[in-house]
Amino acid sequence: MRPTQNLRAPALSATGVDPASASLDDLTARGAALLVFVSEECPTSMMALRNLGPLCRGWEAAGLTAAAVFEDPLDVALRVARRLGWSGRVLSQAPPYPASRAYGLVTVPTTVLVGTGHAIEGTVVGWDQPRLAALIGRAGELLGGSAAGLGRPPATEPLLKPGCSSKAALDPEIAVAISRPAADDEMEEMFERGWTDGLPVVPPTVDRVAAMLGGAAGSESLGLVPPSMGEATLERVAACAVLAGCRPEYFPVVVAAARAVLDPAFNLHGQAVTTQPAGQLIVVNGPVRRAIGLNSGMGALGPGFRANLTIGRAVRLLATLSGGAVPGGLDRATLGQMGKIGFCVAEDEETSPWEPLHVERGFDRGLSVVTVIGCDAPQNVSDHRSRTPEDLAYVLAWAAASAWSTNWWPLAEPSVYVICPEHAAMFREAGWGKQRLREFMFDAVRRPASELRRGETTPAVHAAAPDTVISKWASPEAIVLLVAGGEAGRYSAVLGPCTGMGSRIVSREVESA
Amino acid sequence: MTAPNTIGQYVSPFDDRVRPPEPLAPRPREIAGRTVGLLDISKNRGAAFLDQIESHLNAAGARTIRWTKEIFSKPAALALIDEIAGRADLVVEALAD
Repeated sequence: MRPTQNLRAPALSATGVDPASASLDDLTARGAALLVFVSEECPTSMMALRNLGPLCRGWEAAGLTAAAVFEDPLDVALRVARRLGWSGRVLSQAPPYPASRAYGLVTVPTTVLVGTGHAIEGTVVGWDQPRLAALIGRAGELLGGSAAGLGRPPATEPLLKPGCSSKAALDPEIAVAISRPAADDEMEEMFERGWTDGLPVVPPTVDRVAAMLGGAAGSESLGLVPPSMGEATLERVAACAVLAGCRPEYFPVVVAAARAVLDPAFNLHGQAVTTQPAGQLIVVNGPVRRAIGLNSGMGALGPGFRANLTIGRAVRLLATLSGGAVPGGLDRATLGQMGKIGFCVAEDEETSPWEPLHVERGFDRGLSVVTVIGCDAPQNVSDHRSRTPEDLAYVLAWAAASAWSTNWWPLAEPSVYVICPEHAAMFREAGWGKQRLREFMFDAVRRPASELRRGETTPAVHAAAPDTVISKWASPEAIVLLVAGGEAGRYSAVLGPCTGMGSRIVSREVESA
Repeated sequence: MTAPNTIGQYVSPFDDRVRPPEPLAPRPREIAGRTVGLLDISKNRGAAFLDQIESHLNAAGARTIRWTKEIFSKPAALALIDEIAGRADLVVEALAD
């Protein structure tokens, strides 16, 4: 501990959250304050936060308020503090780091104990466990009574570790210059902030987010986004929609999709963290498709259409950023799939011979509805040769035989078929309704249990007699049928499920803006 | 309370409220005489793993209680967590095969 008694602590110029500003009077109001100056770029700072962080609550209860004073932007500071388990206050200072300068910092971390009358009671530079323990002991003396037992930093190795240069040690102009993210490149700044899915994003400026909200109350909450349970305020959903590249007129669809994926019955929690390649397919039905330019025709599952690509991406960004399902972090997908960037399809209700998905699910045809389904990547099914609905249904059905896994029969979770217009026309001409097609497909894909006992298979297959016939699906209702795609080309697609999630298909009406 | 969400000129997609992890409970030095909850998360062969753990724990003098989560892909129900917390001193959770 540096002998700094009889010095008075300078005023503290820093910002925080709840409250937005900090003063020494606030911090010492309950007795004493421990200021821990840190920087995200400094490993010793991270070590100090990790070791001291869990002690802050106990200190606070005894009258010692701990504050980590970062030489980093506030959002970076908050994220680092959360990650490292720092349970004290979090403060941020902008270049040229006035608080660090006022305290004459050369090194981070530097820990300063401020007592009554703003007297500096001691300072420890770098990570120095014995001196930090003594400093906490000094705080205990100041606070008296029960505070004598204040938690000390653990005597784990290393006991001593030098810190890093404080940014306040730089010339002020240089400090400002080098702190500018990526030399003022706003697009690069988004990557530095982590506000991305790996692709460039549209910076969510206050003005753009306000335009996205269109006057809606940004503080309204749609619920908590798993797995990290960040709150999906409407403002935060709008920020994700801006980042994704949505136009404001898409926002009601994004909100409906967000409400749908946040329904516990959908189990986004499981899908967000699983090793499976689970994506969240968003199906849009109703007049909003045409109103905002959603493509249900040529290339319906592919690139080229802003509304499809950005609506799906907005929902994924909500899960990734607000929900914390960062790939390689809490998102543990072994391979993932491109549909996890965003996956939104509009049904071609005008070409379909059948009732649209939302009507099947109980909504009036004239309503605009979003339906979300947890599913795998699409698998193409080419068939240009079938001349009867039976042949075509057989080909389509067997394409799903290896959905999820080759011998995993039966599947309880839905397989989603996107039927192309030419295939749909064959069923229309033959007068096949959805249910007839489903039942034919269900009956077509069967095998004896003995043929399914290789590698991964289901308990049902293991329990069955060898000659028992097992179906690919648990019921015909596990086959979901949509119509979309270009008018030429006999290519449909099947999307396998994510399994074991107890995930239900969820629909939400799109509320007009 | 809703966190202020504006960072400089931008609206953050992150929920930036600090939610520090819950502190770990103190670790006992001995398990003899303790009650150990064994939580099967309902994933394939998790129970087989717990069977082995259980025999070792019993041999070491611990009592064991078995629980099973409804489904592995969702957080345990609060009622189940409360019950385990009320009846067990320690918990072992089996992840998967």
